Amino acid sequence: MRRLTEHDEAEINSILSREDEILPSSGFTVSVMDAVRREAAAPPPIPFPWKRALPGLVVAGLALSLILVGGVAAIARLGKATTPQLSMSMPPVPPPIFHGDIGAAAIWTVLALLVAFVSVKLSMRVASRM
Amino acid sequence: MNASATDDQADVERVLAGNIAAFEGIVQRWQTPLVNLAYRFCHDRGRSEDMAQEAFLRAYRGLGQWRKDAVFSTWLFALATNLYRSELRRIPARTVSLEDIAEPPDTRISDGGQEDRDYDRDLAVRRGVGALPAKYREALTLFYFHDMDIGTAARSLGLPEGTLKARLFRGREILRGKLPQLLAVPHLKEA
Repeated sequence: MRRLTEHDEAEINSILSREDEILPSSGFTVSVMDAVRREAAAPPPIPFPWKRALPGLVVAGLALSLILVGGVAAIARLGKATTPQLSMSMPPVPPPIFHGDIGAAAIWTVLALLVAFVSVKLSMRVASRM
Repeated sequence: MNASATDDQADVERVLAGNIAAFEGIVQRWQTPLVNLAYRFCHDRGRSEDMAQEAFLRAYRGLGQWRKDAVFSTWLFALATNLYRSELRRIPARTVSLEDIAEPPDTRISDGGQEDRDYDRDLAVRRGVGALPAKYREALTLFYFHDMDIGTAARSLGLPEGTLKARLFRGREILRGKLPQLLAVPHLKEA
């Protein structure tokens, strides 16, 4: 492959330096200033309503923590309850996650639904006020 | 501080004090460079004006963020360059591949004049730059736009000078590899 000489380098510099200059169209300044005035006239962006959202966020955070703690506790209980499977002939049957009665499971489900309902209602209320 | 920099600072202070009309002075002083810089990125006249307008709007919104330790034009060019780069990443300019432009010009269809060959070669080199990977293309574009001033080009791109030099070197190396036929066109002026 032919190597470029200093002359070629200078030529590339010369070609790329003498790019044609274009002039903005006559209405460019007016168009920019119109856009700037529109920008200045527009109301400032609405800040996020942290004060209103805070209770909902706290409730959601607490609910999430409770679920995580509950999940970890359930897994820990599961680990203690299961015995090692020595026989390979029988497929292992997964033990139930909750050892409590069906009533306890129902309470958890109702609680989860309640948290979801309150979150939705709260966010709808906040949105309708804005 | 030169007259333009003083005018810029005065206009910025007036705009920040609530006089929006003072921004027009900034637009008039910098519209041609900003439109031309955009044009070097996209090679589309209409789009370059749209991009320059958006750059002015962003400058207006961010005037308060200009720290006066740098000249206003440096800040403005850096802002515009950043915007143009992201705009070109979003919707790339129409380019051709380097393989497509590496053919020497067909002298059979032109009248074989020196002007034709020069034009073809200039066009091929520019398209060659346009087909480079973005980081080399941007380095070359800014370097030549700022009249081969490494420091100003580096500040516009927000890069250390050493990085810019490396990119310029690599960009030229790629061009070298791809364009030898074009630069091998005989130099009649020297014959």
